[in-house]
Amino acid sequence: MQRVAITGTASFLGGRLLRRVVAARGASAVVAIDVAPPPTTLHGVRHRMVDLTLPGADRRLVEVFREEQVDTVFHAAFFTTPRRDTSYAHELESIGTLHLAAAAAAAGVRHLVLRSFTAVYGARGQNPSFLTEERKPEAGARLPWLRDKAEAEEHAFSFSRRYPGLGVTVLRFAPLLGPGVHTFYTRLFSRRVLPVLFGYDPLLQLLHPDDALDAAVLALEHDPAQVVNVVPRASITLLTALHLSEKVTVPVLHPVAYPLAELWWASGVGEAPSGFVDFARFPFVADGEKARRAYAFEARYTSREALESFLAFRYPASRRPGAERAVGEPALAEAVEAGEAGA
Amino acid sequence: MSDAAKVVPIARGRRGAKRPRAMPGPGALERRVRELERELEAERSSQGSESLLVALARALSSGARGLDWASLGRLQRALYFAWHSEQTDEYGADPRFAEALEPLVEFLYAVWWRVETTGVENLPSRGPGLVVANHSGVLPYDGMMVQLAIRHEHPARRLCRMLALDMFALLPGLAPILAKSGSVRASPENAERLLRAGELLGVFPEGVKGVGKMFRERYQLARFGRGGFVRVALRTGTPLIPCAVVGAEEIHPVVARADWLGRPFGLPYFPLTPTFPWLGPLGLVPLPTKWSIDFGEPIDLSEHGPAGAEDPILVNRIAEEVRATLQRMVDGRLARRRSIWFG
Repeated sequence: MQRVAITGTASFLGGRLLRRVVAARGASAVVAIDVAPPPTTLHGVRHRMVDLTLPGADRRLVEVFREEQVDTVFHAAFFTTPRRDTSYAHELESIGTLHLAAAAAAAGVRHLVLRSFTAVYGARGQNPSFLTEERKPEAGARLPWLRDKAEAEEHAFSFSRRYPGLGVTVLRFAPLLGPGVHTFYTRLFSRRVLPVLFGYDPLLQLLHPDDALDAAVLALEHDPAQVVNVVPRASITLLTALHLSEKVTVPVLHPVAYPLAELWWASGVGEAPSGFVDFARFPFVADGEKARRAYAFEARYTSREALESFLAFRYPASRRPGAERAVGEPALAEAVEAGEAGA
Repeated sequence: MSDAAKVVPIARGRRGAKRPRAMPGPGALERRVRELERELEAERSSQGSESLLVALARALSSGARGLDWASLGRLQRALYFAWHSEQTDEYGADPRFAEALEPLVEFLYAVWWRVETTGVENLPSRGPGLVVANHSGVLPYDGMMVQLAIRHEHPARRLCRMLALDMFALLPGLAPILAKSGSVRASPENAERLLRAGELLGVFPEGVKGVGKMFRERYQLARFGRGGFVRVALRTGTPLIPCAVVGAEEIHPVVARADWLGRPFGLPYFPLTPTFPWLGPLGLVPLPTKWSIDFGEPIDLSEHGPAGAEDPILVNRIAEEVRATLQRMVDGRLARRRSIWFG
C-alpha cells in the first residue's frame, strides 16, 4: 500500500492536514514525520522521528520512505514566524529540504508537495497588482526567513530536474489567519496598539486555514503542478484589517520605521526584523488563477472573513469590549441547536 | 465553519436548552436560522458603522474615563470607516473613498480649473480602451481630472483607471490615495490584465520626463518611454484614444530643479517654482489656469495583430505616430487659446 508522509506534523498546517488525511483515508494511509509525536488523539497514526537538521537525515529518510512505502510527501516543516536563531532555521528549512528532496528522489517517491509562502515573492513597490507563479522569488532576499524558503523551493526543483521520476508541487500559501493559527500575524492582531507606516495602506491577503487545508488535500490528490498560489477570495487593505479589529494604530514615517524595527528586534522586544516593514508598506498579492485551473480550487473565505473568524476566536463575544452584540448570539445558537436536533 | 464550532451546539443541546416553540420542520428552522443570521448581521453592521459623530460625542462625553485603548481603537475605527469602505475591489479601488474625495476633485474640475472637455464620444462605452495623455503638472492632478472628465461627461460613466508612475504610486501619503481612487502602478502586467478584463485605462507614456518638465519646455511632448503602452495595446487588440490636456502645464511652473534635494525622499526630481518651496505648504497650491481636455479619434491597431508587439520597429513607429498626433492636438488647442487663465 502506498502511503502519504507528512513532515512537520507538530506545526499547525502539518497537524491539521494529518487529521484531514486520517479522516479521509484512515490512519494506515499516512505516516507522520517530525521530531515531536503527533497528537495522542489520533489513534493508530504511524510516527517516525526524524530530525531534518542532523547530517544523516537523508539516509534515515530513505529508510523511512522505503519501509513505509511512501509515494507522496507533504513537507510542512517550516517556520511561519521569524526566529532569532537564524542558523537553526536555515538548517531545518533550506538544508532540511535538501535532505528531504534527495531522500525522496532516492526512495522513488513520486510526488513531493512543499508548503511555501506568497511572501517569497517579496513585498516590493515594483510588484504588479497580482503576482503569478511565473514570477521568480526575490533572489538574495535580505531576510533570512525569506531566503531559507526560497532556497528550499530551489532545492526541491533542482532534484526534480535531475530525477524526472520525482514531481514537485510548491504551494505558496497567503498568510494564514483563523482559529488556532499562531503566526507573526496572529501575534500582531492580538495586540492593542500597533505601529503602522505613515501614508501606506497596502492590500493584504489573509487565508483561512480551512481553505489552506482544502488546497493541500487537492495538491495531494492531483499530479505535480510546480508552483501554485493558494490565496483567499478577496484581499483587504492593511488599515481596514487593523481598524476592523479596533486596533489603535500609531503612524510612523518609513525612514524611521526601519531602524526602529531593527532596534526593537535586536533588543528582543520586536516580533520581526526590519525587513518585515516592507510587508506593511508594499503589497505581495498573489494570483489564484492557476489553482482554479489546475485544482478547480475556489477559496471559500475572503480575507475579511478569515480575519473575522480569527477575531471571533481570539476575542470571544463575552470578552469583547462592545459586548452588547452578544445579545443576538444565544438566539442564533439556540436556533442552530434546534435545527441540528431536528435534522 | 470549523469543526469545533459545529460540535458546540450539539453538546449544549444535550444539556437540554429550552427550545423555541414546538418542533417545527427542518425547513422552517433553516429559514429561522437564516432570518436570525440576517438580523445579527444587520445589528453588527449598524454597530460597526457607528457614525463618526456618535463616536466622537461618546469619546468626548466620557472624558478622561473614556480614554482607554479600547475606546481609542473604536474611535480610530469610526474615523477610518467614515471615508473608507470595508471592502475594496481587487485592485484596491475604494468607492467610498472616491466619494469622499469627490467634492474636492469636483471643485478643482469645475471651479478652480474650469475644465472644458471635448470628444468623450471617442471613448468606448464597453470593452477595453487605452487613453494616452500628455503628462505635466508636477503632481498627478492631470490624471485625476481625466478620470473625472470621463466619469462625468461620458454617458457610460466609466471608471478610467490611471496607470500611475512609481514615484507617485509609492510616495507615502499619495500611494493609498491613488490606489483607492482606482489607479494601479504602471506595469505591463497590470495593464495587460486590466485590458483583458475589458477595462478602460489611462496612461501617460512621457512618464517622469513629462510630469517634471521645466516651464520653458511646456507643451513639448517628451519621448514616449520605450513604447510599452503600444506593445500592450497590440497584444490585447485595444484601441488607443489620444487625450490632450492643456492648462495643466502651467499650474506649477518649474523654473529650476534641485534634484539633489529630492533624493533623500526617493523623488526623481525636486521642482522649484515661484511659490514652492518658498511659501511652504502654500506653495503647493496649484495656479488656477483654465484647462481643456480633448479626446481624439481612437487609433485602431487591430490590423497589426498581436504579433506586432514583437516587432520593435513597428512599436516604435506607432508610439512616434501617437506622440505626433497628441502634439498636433495640443498645438491646435494652444493656437486657439488666448489666455492661460481664461482660455
